[in-house]
Amino acid sequence: MISVKNVYKNFGPKGEIKVLSGTSCEIKKGEQVVIIGPSGSGKSTMLRCMNLLEEPTYGEVWLGDSLLTPADPYLHPEVIMASKTFEKMKNADPDREDADIIAEIKAKDLLKKHEGKAYRAALKAIELESRIDINLARQRMGMVFQHFNLFNNLTVLQNMLLAPVKLKIMSKEEAEEKALALLERIGLLDKKDEYPSKLSGGQKQRVAIIRALVMNPEVILFDEPTSALDPEMVGEVLDLMKQLAEEGMTMVIVTHEMGFAREVADRVLFMADGVIAEEGPPEELFTNPQNPRLQQFLQKVL
Amino acid sequence: MSTAWNTFYRQFFELEGYKNFLVGLEHTAIIAVCGLLLGLIVGCLLATCQMLPKTNGLIKALSKAADVYIALFRGTPMVVQLLLIHFVIFPAIGINIDSVIEAVLVFGLNSGAYVSEIMRGGILSVDIGQTEAGRALGLTYGQTMLRIVLPQAIKNVVPTLGNEFITLLKETSVVSFIAVVDLTKAFQNIANSTYEYIIPYLVLALSYLVLVLLVTGLIRLVERRLRASDKR
Repeated sequence: MISVKNVYKNFGPKGEIKVLSGTSCEIKKGEQVVIIGPSGSGKSTMLRCMNLLEEPTYGEVWLGDSLLTPADPYLHPEVIMASKTFEKMKNADPDREDADIIAEIKAKDLLKKHEGKAYRAALKAIELESRIDINLARQRMGMVFQHFNLFNNLTVLQNMLLAPVKLKIMSKEEAEEKALALLERIGLLDKKDEYPSKLSGGQKQRVAIIRALVMNPEVILFDEPTSALDPEMVGEVLDLMKQLAEEGMTMVIVTHEMGFAREVADRVLFMADGVIAEEGPPEELFTNPQNPRLQQFLQKVL
Repeated sequence: MSTAWNTFYRQFFELEGYKNFLVGLEHTAIIAVCGLLLGLIVGCLLATCQMLPKTNGLIKALSKAADVYIALFRGTPMVVQLLLIHFVIFPAIGINIDSVIEAVLVFGLNSGAYVSEIMRGGILSVDIGQTEAGRALGLTYGQTMLRIVLPQAIKNVVPTLGNEFITLLKETSVVSFIAVVDLTKAFQNIANSTYEYIIPYLVLALSYLVLVLLVTGLIRLVERRLRASDKR
């Protein structure tokens, strides 16, 4: 459903802070994937790259058949082959295998901006075929934030209705019916006309989750959903997330709750230094970690 | 003291100083209110130019232009701008309009430079998470701004905008430089009618004070209305 392909993300004015260094992963439909790792390892950045809240410096992000980022020439051999650099190298040594030249171009990052018409046309062709408007893509993926980010100027119900009605995904009546049903489900129907400032942290985060649900998303991204909560409120949020998991919602969750990861995840990704250092089913990863960084990390948190 | 009051009574009513006063009050009010409204429009436009995500050359150019505009209008005194418009720029390009409208223009354009900085501060004061939540739901940059960020930003800037309005209101006292009769000029005329200055200028000060207090009350009222969603 979501494919992250060789994504790099550099921050800072000159791109000197490298947070992601060539990460790839694939989230399948109906899967619950938990991303763990020490702070600064790039887990949140990777999650935020999935809906382009952070734009990857290189690499591609796909939602199903739709390309969300600009096409990355290094991921498409046919684009590399259309470039002037390839042409030059081929002319210099006609007997050399194409694949070999492509590999060298990739490894040495040889493509520059001016690679000619054919190159640009090849890139454009990919984008014409697959790239979709990011706003349309985001309607299909929900996101839940560490700091809830409910709209402070709107009531709970307005928070839930704004996007689906404004974006004409459903009629106001339809959206309202759905929102009220969801509010009832989490037991906050009586809070529908309150402003977020009147809710507790746990209530805010549960409203944030169902705000994403009203949109009928295909996948929900959770960015440390319980890290800003008082300990006694963590349970109610995790319970709601467990329910969603049982209903088969596709979920990608960045969290420090190892118990939750163990219980809910189909697959756990361990990130360190901007790459996925190890991945696997939770039993295997937690009981028999291979990577020394993971062993160290688990020792500290378990 | 009573003779001074008698003189003022004579100045104000028998010599028809009140007519002067009413005209002055009207001009002061028009210049301050219209100036602020124009300033709000200009300020919002300037802030938008500066805050749009710099994705293309046009936006970058607009942002630079806004910077220059703000530097010019904040960098020179309002009186100088009034004099330039009235005696240099408009005569040079052959525009001949009512001095009150000139004053409104200058006050609006000048105030716009300040309002844009106020608005920018207000928008920056809204947690970035609000924008991210809006964008993550698929709302466009414009929709997120309009529905989520600006309502919160405006609430944050009402006290500062009020301050700007009060400054503007008092600053109108310089428009007599281009021969507009405002409150100050009116009382100067009243005082000059008999060359008795004490009471007219005291009453002048009192008039500004009353106006400012009225405006302050109005701002408080607006603030309280907007704070409805903050009650805990």
